[in-house]
Amino acid sequence: MSASHEGSGAASRHGPVRAPQSLAGGLFLLFLAALALWLTKDLDQGTLNAMGPAMLPRWLAFGVGLSGLALLVFAFIKDGEPLERWSIRGPFFIISAILAFGVTIRGYAFGDLAVPGLGLMVAGPLAILIGGFATPEARFRDLVILSLSLTPFCMVLFGDGALLNLPIPLFPRALAELFPADWSQNAILRTVAAVMAVLAALVSVTTRGRRTTTIDVADHDGRI
Amino acid sequence: MGDLFSNLGLGFSVAFSVQNILSAFIGCLVGTLIGVLPGVGPIATIAMLLPITFSLDPTGALIMLAGIYYGAQYGGSTTAILVNIPGEATSVVTALDGHQMARQGRAGVALGVAAIGSFFAGTVATLVIAALGKPLTGLALLFGPTEYFSLMVMGLVFAVVLARGSILKAVAMIVLGVLLSTVGLDLETGEERMTFGLAFLSDGIDFAVLAMGIFGIAEIMRNLDHTEHRDVVRQAIGSLLPTRDDFRQAYKPAIRGTLIGAMLGILPGNGAVLGPFASYTLEKKIAKDPRRFGRGAIEGVAGPESANNAGAQTSFIPLLTLGIPPNAVMALMVGAMTIHGIIPGPQVMTKNPDLFWGMIASMWIGNLMLLIINLPLVGVWVRLLKVPYRLLFPAILMFCCIGIYSINSLPTDVMFIALFGFVGYILIKFGFEPAPMLLGFVLGKLMEENLRRALILSRGSLETFIERPVSAGLLAVAAILLVIALLPSIRKGRDEVFTE
Repeated sequence: MSASHEGSGAASRHGPVRAPQSLAGGLFLLFLAALALWLTKDLDQGTLNAMGPAMLPRWLAFGVGLSGLALLVFAFIKDGEPLERWSIRGPFFIISAILAFGVTIRGYAFGDLAVPGLGLMVAGPLAILIGGFATPEARFRDLVILSLSLTPFCMVLFGDGALLNLPIPLFPRALAELFPADWSQNAILRTVAAVMAVLAALVSVTTRGRRTTTIDVADHDGRI
Repeated sequence: MGDLFSNLGLGFSVAFSVQNILSAFIGCLVGTLIGVLPGVGPIATIAMLLPITFSLDPTGALIMLAGIYYGAQYGGSTTAILVNIPGEATSVVTALDGHQMARQGRAGVALGVAAIGSFFAGTVATLVIAALGKPLTGLALLFGPTEYFSLMVMGLVFAVVLARGSILKAVAMIVLGVLLSTVGLDLETGEERMTFGLAFLSDGIDFAVLAMGIFGIAEIMRNLDHTEHRDVVRQAIGSLLPTRDDFRQAYKPAIRGTLIGAMLGILPGNGAVLGPFASYTLEKKIAKDPRRFGRGAIEGVAGPESANNAGAQTSFIPLLTLGIPPNAVMALMVGAMTIHGIIPGPQVMTKNPDLFWGMIASMWIGNLMLLIINLPLVGVWVRLLKVPYRLLFPAILMFCCIGIYSINSLPTDVMFIALFGFVGYILIKFGFEPAPMLLGFVLGKLMEENLRRALILSRGSLETFIERPVSAGLLAVAAILLVIALLPSIRKGRDEVFTE
């Protein structure tokens, strides 16, 4: 809401475009409609009595395209909102974080290049550390502590046989093999989680001695 | 009448099992916990918490999900009152007077009235659902594919009329949503449509993935663009229990709000969202001194909060009786039910009476839980609200990833929430509201199926939709609504309702 009001209404009097937001929206809809039409070009439309696979998507794509066209026309006729402020940083880091999580959680192969499955133990902290930098106010130390404390919590909550017991990979196989063979999955999980939690506490204590808890390390500057 | 009580009796006997009460309790608790976080609305909350219900039996799972939903709603109101950040459209109104009350040191009373009003509304709405469930289910059995299709068209028109901002953009979003629902294998011919040849798209786009991307991830990206000052109330919370005077002022608005909300909630096409607005406008109109509104009037909290909760609950009616989800939250419920092997619709009541009535009874229990959980835990929520966003959003991000991965155990699902998140971000930036798109997506598959069946029955004649009286009536209502919404004078009024 904040930065968009610098000139709403009759913002861009100069130039023929009177509603940049509608213009962009219209173009985006036209693009989506064209994409759908292109993707369904080889499919059979059928008749009303026996509809083919392409009939509904094609009609709908025309509908989307028409709306886009109307928005485009209105952008030159009626005054409207200017484009809102954009940032690249937010979406870039958020998307990278999600992709990192998706690639490492169970392993993923891009052609020849295969990423091993590293489990929640690695994927979780990766998502937090990368994603955390989506805001300019990011502080590496806080993110490290957050990831080292939240990840074991989630691992135990979702993975422990006594709790939710979801089929989510928890740690790399290589790590599990380091433990004695007669240890149960739960025992390994709890040990790993405990080690991570202790690490979180250690980082928190050593990097700034006077604060110990993990969530309250942040100063309450009250910004969102 | 006797039927109603014997059915409710059956429901309570199911809902009062230890396991189900525990489900309702946990659902309400974690729902509120996540719902309180600023910028996380009920849809993202439910999508995030969906996996924790997987290990339960269907009845327990639905009871927990309903609890999560109410919890998320109430959490949103808490945030609205304490921080003036409404988590979703329906708590915008609560923020107006609720936050002012909080600044006057009456946050406790505002929260208390909201909880008690919601509980009252929930009680009434539970009875409404129980009473209407049977007759409406009977009605549903008379519906053929033609009528179903027309009903869904009417629902989508409602959604257009009730969406904020430009009607053209709302229409575009709905059509886009229906278009997205056609991705995947064609049910009749088995041909792949718009899948880019990707195997995991042949089942279509997963609803939870789309919802999580558009309401979870896109919301984070959007929030990061705004460095808004978070105005956490510094005043004392004060007593939670309303005084006798407060009570006298609040009970009538609560009753009126409940009735308004309950009626609007039944409408297909997200009528529930209108409840709080309508209630607030009404209270302001009939108040002796309307200037008090916006400055901490207790009626401005009691009425809309009751309307909100009543609508939230009666919106289960179209889902449970007709099998048509009236809004995005109910669409997630459909997804959850399908995961547990239940196809929502009129047959649920006859085939699984335990589940149907148990869930209805647990709605009341859930409302009671909210009252019990929230009044003592307000202090915890206040502390949670003080955690800065730069630490909150990475945590939300990871929860989203874990949640979506555990639904299908597919890494591609995780990657798709990034894609849909980005698309949602673009749409928001271009002034589109994503909620109608989600509704279009949900109804899309059902619509295509029913359209095809109707056309086969009529041998390819589109006139069948006008020839059959019920279908014609529904379409006429839709057409009239659309015309009315486009009339300039009404449009102005509509904009006022939403900007107020």
